[in-house]
Amino acid sequence: MHSNKFYGGWLISVLLLSLGLIGCPKQSPTGMTYGTTSSTGSGTSGMDETEIGEGDRIQDRVQQDGEGGPLQDVFFSYDSFELSEEARQTLQANADWLQSNAEAKVEIEGHCDERGTSEYNLALGAKRARAAQDYLTTLGVPAERLSVISYGEELPQCTDANESCWQRNRRGHFSVLR
Amino acid sequence: MSRGRPPLRMTRPGVLLTVIAALTVLTTPASAQIRIEVPNPGEAGVPIAISPLSNPDSHAERQIGDTFARTIARDLTLSGLFRVLDRRAYIEGPEEFVLDRINFQNWSVLDALALVKGGFWLDGERLTIEARLFDVTQQKQLGGRRYIGHKRDVRRMAHRFADQIMLFLTGEEGPFNSKIAFISNRVDGRVKEVYVTDLSGSEVRRVTQDRTLSLGPSWSPTGAELLFISYRQGGPHSFKLDLATGRSARLDARIAYGASWSPDGAHIAVSLDQNGNADLFLLSSQGRLIRRLTHHSGIDVSPAWSPDGRQLAFCSSRSGSPQIYVMDIETGKSKRITFQSAYNTDPAWSPKGDRIAYTSRSGGFRVMAIDPNGGEATHIVRGEHPSWSPDGRYLAVTRRGRLYLASRDGQSIQQLTGGSGNDTSPAWSPRLP
Repeated sequence: MHSNKFYGGWLISVLLLSLGLIGCPKQSPTGMTYGTTSSTGSGTSGMDETEIGEGDRIQDRVQQDGEGGPLQDVFFSYDSFELSEEARQTLQANADWLQSNAEAKVEIEGHCDERGTSEYNLALGAKRARAAQDYLTTLGVPAERLSVISYGEELPQCTDANESCWQRNRRGHFSVLR
Repeated sequence: MSRGRPPLRMTRPGVLLTVIAALTVLTTPASAQIRIEVPNPGEAGVPIAISPLSNPDSHAERQIGDTFARTIARDLTLSGLFRVLDRRAYIEGPEEFVLDRINFQNWSVLDALALVKGGFWLDGERLTIEARLFDVTQQKQLGGRRYIGHKRDVRRMAHRFADQIMLFLTGEEGPFNSKIAFISNRVDGRVKEVYVTDLSGSEVRRVTQDRTLSLGPSWSPTGAELLFISYRQGGPHSFKLDLATGRSARLDARIAYGASWSPDGAHIAVSLDQNGNADLFLLSSQGRLIRRLTHHSGIDVSPAWSPDGRQLAFCSSRSGSPQIYVMDIETGKSKRITFQSAYNTDPAWSPKGDRIAYTSRSGGFRVMAIDPNGGEATHIVRGEHPSWSPDGRYLAVTRRGRLYLASRDGQSIQQLTGGSGNDTSPAWSPRLP
């Protein structure tokens, strides 16, 4: 493992300067005298190892995606988190399944299409997941069985640049937690 | 016999290995007579010849001198202010680089107005570089620098000298000794990590290895730390990464969408989930909640500090579509400044405070800029997610999964990254030590 002094090196040069080590006029290799000195940073740049995080869950989730499962996705209009009539019907069906599987807990994922910017879409995906969660609770599903997470535009279902693909990506997806 | 020996031998070499010292030679910037007219970006640039560095001691390690010249050539081309002359046309070799031994006729016949020459010396791994900038017409030196460090630091030395050339000729230091953080899925398409590249795009390093989604990097004002959003502990949270140690820690327990450091380093503005909606909050640099900044049912994301730290530009959907707003932090009052499109996001406040760049969607994505008080927005370049260079003369943007650097008027644009994977969310560092 290499050590990385890149961002700490200026301390060393400041130290050297304060010790007068690189501050005096010097004779250059070409015989010219250098008057003033200005110090700059220093160091090596290299790859440092970082801790491995807890999360391999994204990958796990990507592999599950598209399996279908008992709960159907709901879809949204561009830049919107409003539930269409069709989305409400889907949520009613999902609520029915949740009522008859009373021990099941579900994570609702909010997703967006690529025609937005990353940070805004992250917040928009959260609104979509929340809208689905709120509607399911009005249908009688206890809120504590429903968690939400936004993936913004980061995990698209498909990557073609056309409306049918974008529509598939603007979704609320339901993962049954085990 | 030891004509080419580096100076400063009395210092402890073990320590000096990590030090680059830049020494002012003869002319200080303040006293430099700037005779070369530097055009605006986009006009025909100043013709400049950049000779490879010579090594008076030997012909070994010639690539060091070439790398130095090539790196400066790329930086100056990118600046949009220079036209780097093809080195195959150079008559004079790299050997002569002291004022009284250069034959300026050899350079004026090439129509060069400016000339970079210099030499390097190796003592083991320790590299000394001397580089000088000459005014070919006046036959005089405009400035020079000596750099001492490890030989792997040759590109950093070159970036620093390119910054100095900009200083000598424009009165303002260049932005080239800086880095750009970005997000890429180049290793595994489903995993996004944070990367940092130098401005030649040739020294790219991955700074996270979380094997999850990482988003939206943002620099601390010293360049020592990065904020970013990560899914490594479940839902997206804000993390702080120390670049020297590689260690990162969660900043706040709540779901977060993006964060940015205040110019004085004391505060962090962050967009956090508040009962299912994104609102802006002010935290201390350690993550302690200071106060909530927005109270609105719309999405409030992407806080961007004004350089004086008194205002925040941000993106809000409170009008029904995402638009750019400017908030006075003290009073909490916000004003909408964009009206020209139904989708305006990702504000970035220029370091001089005069413009706010942002992403606008109408058809495709484009980067626009507007006065912080509002008014007419101007188109800069196709692309999204702008980030200003520390000197405010350039913008990094992303376009079709590649990073580009553009002059602030959009006239000059160069690709920074390529290869497999998508590179997004560029964040330009401050000037680095």
